Amino acid sequence: MRTLLHDERLRPWLLLAPALTVVGVLAGGAIVQAAVRSVSPVRGSGETGLTLSAYRSLLADPELPRSLLLTLYLATTSTLLAVVLGIAAALALRQVAARSRWLTTVFQLPLPIPHVVGAVAVLALLGQSGLFSRIAGSAGLIDDAASFPALVFDPLAIGILAEYTWKEVPFVGIVALALLRSSRVTEQEAAARSLGAGPWQRLRHVTLPLVLPGVLSVAVIVFAFSFGAFEVPLLLGASFPETLPVMAFRRHTDISLAARPEALALSLLMAAVAVACVALAMRVARRTIREEGR
Amino acid sequence: MRRTWLAAIAVVAVACGAADAPTPDVPDPADWDAVVERARGQTVNLHMWGGSNEINAFVDDHYGPRLAEEYDITLNRVPLADTADAVATVLSELDADQTVGGAVDLIWINGENFATMDDADALLRGWAPLLPNAELVDWDDPAIAFDAGRPVDGAESPWGSAQFQFVYDADRHDLDELPRSYAELADWIVANPGRFTYPSPPAFHGTRFVKQWFYELSGGPDRWLDGFDEAAYDEASAELWDLLDDLEPYLWREGQTYPNDIADLDRLFANGEVDLTFTQLPAGIDGQIQAGVFPETARPYVFDTGGIGDTHYLAIPVNANAPAAAMVLANLALEPDLQIAKLDPANGWGDGIVIEPDRIDDDARSALQAVEDSLGETAVDQAELAAAQLPETVGAYTDAIDRDWDRFIRQGQPRE
Amino acid sequence: MTATATPLPPAQPRRTATGRGRHLRDDTGRSWTARVVVTVVIAGILLPLVPLLLSSFARGYFHPQVVPETWSLRAWQIALGPGAATWSALVASVVVAGVVSLISLALGLPAGRALGLYRFRGRRVVEFLLLAPVLVPPIAIAIGLHGVFLRLGLTGSVTAVVLVHLVPVLPYVVLILAGAFANLDPAFEDQARSLGAGRLAVLWTVTLPSIAPGLVTAALFGFLVSWGQYALTLVIGGGRVVTLPILIFASASGGDTAVTSALALFATLPALAILLINAHAVRDRAAPLGGVR
Repeated sequence: MRTLLHDERLRPWLLLAPALTVVGVLAGGAIVQAAVRSVSPVRGSGETGLTLSAYRSLLADPELPRSLLLTLYLATTSTLLAVVLGIAAALALRQVAARSRWLTTVFQLPLPIPHVVGAVAVLALLGQSGLFSRIAGSAGLIDDAASFPALVFDPLAIGILAEYTWKEVPFVGIVALALLRSSRVTEQEAAARSLGAGPWQRLRHVTLPLVLPGVLSVAVIVFAFSFGAFEVPLLLGASFPETLPVMAFRRHTDISLAARPEALALSLLMAAVAVACVALAMRVARRTIREEGR
Repeated sequence: MRRTWLAAIAVVAVACGAADAPTPDVPDPADWDAVVERARGQTVNLHMWGGSNEINAFVDDHYGPRLAEEYDITLNRVPLADTADAVATVLSELDADQTVGGAVDLIWINGENFATMDDADALLRGWAPLLPNAELVDWDDPAIAFDAGRPVDGAESPWGSAQFQFVYDADRHDLDELPRSYAELADWIVANPGRFTYPSPPAFHGTRFVKQWFYELSGGPDRWLDGFDEAAYDEASAELWDLLDDLEPYLWREGQTYPNDIADLDRLFANGEVDLTFTQLPAGIDGQIQAGVFPETARPYVFDTGGIGDTHYLAIPVNANAPAAAMVLANLALEPDLQIAKLDPANGWGDGIVIEPDRIDDDARSALQAVEDSLGETAVDQAELAAAQLPETVGAYTDAIDRDWDRFIRQGQPRE
Repeated sequence: MTATATPLPPAQPRRTATGRGRHLRDDTGRSWTARVVVTVVIAGILLPLVPLLLSSFARGYFHPQVVPETWSLRAWQIALGPGAATWSALVASVVVAGVVSLISLALGLPAGRALGLYRFRGRRVVEFLLLAPVLVPPIAIAIGLHGVFLRLGLTGSVTAVVLVHLVPVLPYVVLILAGAFANLDPAFEDQARSLGAGRLAVLWTVTLPSIAPGLVTAALFGFLVSWGQYALTLVIGGGRVVTLPILIFASASGGDTAVTSALALFATLPALAILLINAHAVRDRAAPLGGVR
């Protein structure tokens, strides 16, 4: 035992074992269970052995491709918005809020607030009878609530994107701000300035290339979140199409047990698509950043 | 923490095989004293739709203290976004061979949710007519003995009654401007584009709204009260889907999206985005007006062609953890003073009674009369309401309507 | 496994905060732009809370009222009255998030140490394995685990909810602690040990103090990720574990906007308190709290 504990090669693995076991058992257990049950026949269906009927009926559902597209659209758009606006906000905050801690604190305000709250707030702000519509109505800009543009439950999912942006811009921004304030960035910026580079040149050729790789790892989390988000599209989304997580939940709670394997199959599909997207995005982004850096 | 660890390890162990399924030990309501004795100290998990603060408060304030003081039972009201969630919970438990100690002790239920659980043999049967207060109920009344065309079979104890009504704003419209049948409603929708919508089925009010339209188009409810004639349904419903499809451009948001549930529709109505919403409360909408959910000038009315009325019930899953306490609560819910309190909009709810006025004592009867007399213009006249009542279909038609609405209207799939 | 695991050299000491960002002050043109951007951003962050405040203090707050015609404390009385479900939901939320945070720290400290201080073959694989559960949609995890927990009779218990919350929380906590350990110089621990300090004494007097900021951030982060969970709690809690997000969602599917607004605002308060404490405790360390979850 003593030698085992003091073997330097094994040590990191022993230290990692508890955390890896718990994550592995829970997340791995979920995936294995989903895989097994999605091909098991439903009780009372008369089928025996393994069956792919859940996958067949899932893939035959005409809503699936549209749902997949909507989910990917939401995840991609909200990630781009969060990255662009987050970096912009961080750049601005670095200049303005260098000594004002309360501005940075207010900037972080959405981070600890549950998404359910964000969704309720966005509905109360952007809905057709929300605060903006009321102000427009009082100012005589619109006749009634219905004349206000549809920003929630709309085909472009603006309400959902607004909620994600509200929560995620501070997330990306605060990470970007930490990177911007690091000595590596400030020193290289100072060096570029002393060589006569203008503000935009510095931003384009020095600051952004230094910050982007760090922001990328945050963007991955933002993408994964937006892809898998459930309560926000449920509260703010249009009736059709639904996002993949909402579709999976509806099948999971369908009173017909036959829908249960489809929910599990859809869960596996979502997991696979999310991981594949992230892997692909990381590859593309790494290559782009490397080429930019040249 | 220790339990957490054990559980984490057990996840692996149990993922492989299920444990032996014990047989539940169900109390016999015929021996009521024994039931009450067994219920002592139990906690009853009452699963019910939790979207109304008024209804939640009524249950917490009127049942909770009585259960605690008179029976030493703790009431745990579990708020659901949708009753089907609790149905799914029980069915999943049974599917996983969890035959005792289930999550749900008592469930507020009726219609297709009852049918689903009944089909799965997921409810205790035979207990409801044996409750002491069951003698106040007229079990020969088909509106009570049948839930959506299906014999209740003692598996459900009645709790209250409801009937579909429309709600308008008297400040915006005179009643005579408004449609009084679905035929008139179709014209009204076209004449007032963007001013009407309905919750998307399977949301309760949405399904009921669509089903009533189906009744009117197919010549009334009589053909749809028992059995399931798929060919007749397909033929009769084709016209409905054509019509709903044709009307979509004139709906709120041009029918591109629908409110998720009645709460969404109520919000649209209250803010003047649409002109009509629905209610199910026989004693009217005074509670919602007092809560500021509806404007002061909101009024209910019924179509001349009627609205579906039905009974809602309390049921006990076969794997309930505390069936004795669940029976005590179901019995308590039939106490005359609590039935009358539930009817009185002043207590926030306004739900219909399920006990017979001639089977309760004089004091209770005069209390009931006083509540009925106090209902003002925020309730439809009780005689008019009773005259307009339509029966509910069997659950199979409900399922078919939900399924087809989802395909043809929500998804807009073409029909062959 | 042939490669030896060697402790990493301690990272460069962090630069102190003084003077950060000041060198750009001379760009007055950009500074003006920056002020506008910051104003817009801060307004955008605060604005969504305004209609919640207005509606929670109003009765019959219908379109097109901007300022309520009738002010009322009714919604707050319902939301926060004695016996309101809010209080038990608050307890449930705090217990779940607290226990999740503590378990994550207990498991995350050794794991963070391994990732922060050792270079070994398979490190990247471990990092990926830890991060993968964060990429998978929580609802997929919940639906998958639901069947397993049912068999164990765990569904609907606080234990089950705590377990399932570990899936999104633990990876973050490990990675944050790994960052904290990367700044720790193990030589100090060796020194303390050579001076005769026991294992616990070293942990208590040397290791924990030197990673304290990371420890606080990880604990708060874990707490807040759990605090905001809805899908996992809903599916695994089976409706019986009613945390604040569950309560708010149920209220939102009812019709009483004023009460929903009051509940929503109430749910932000404890989270805000933590944010302020963190801003105070972890000076100049802009650590993202709560994240996107």
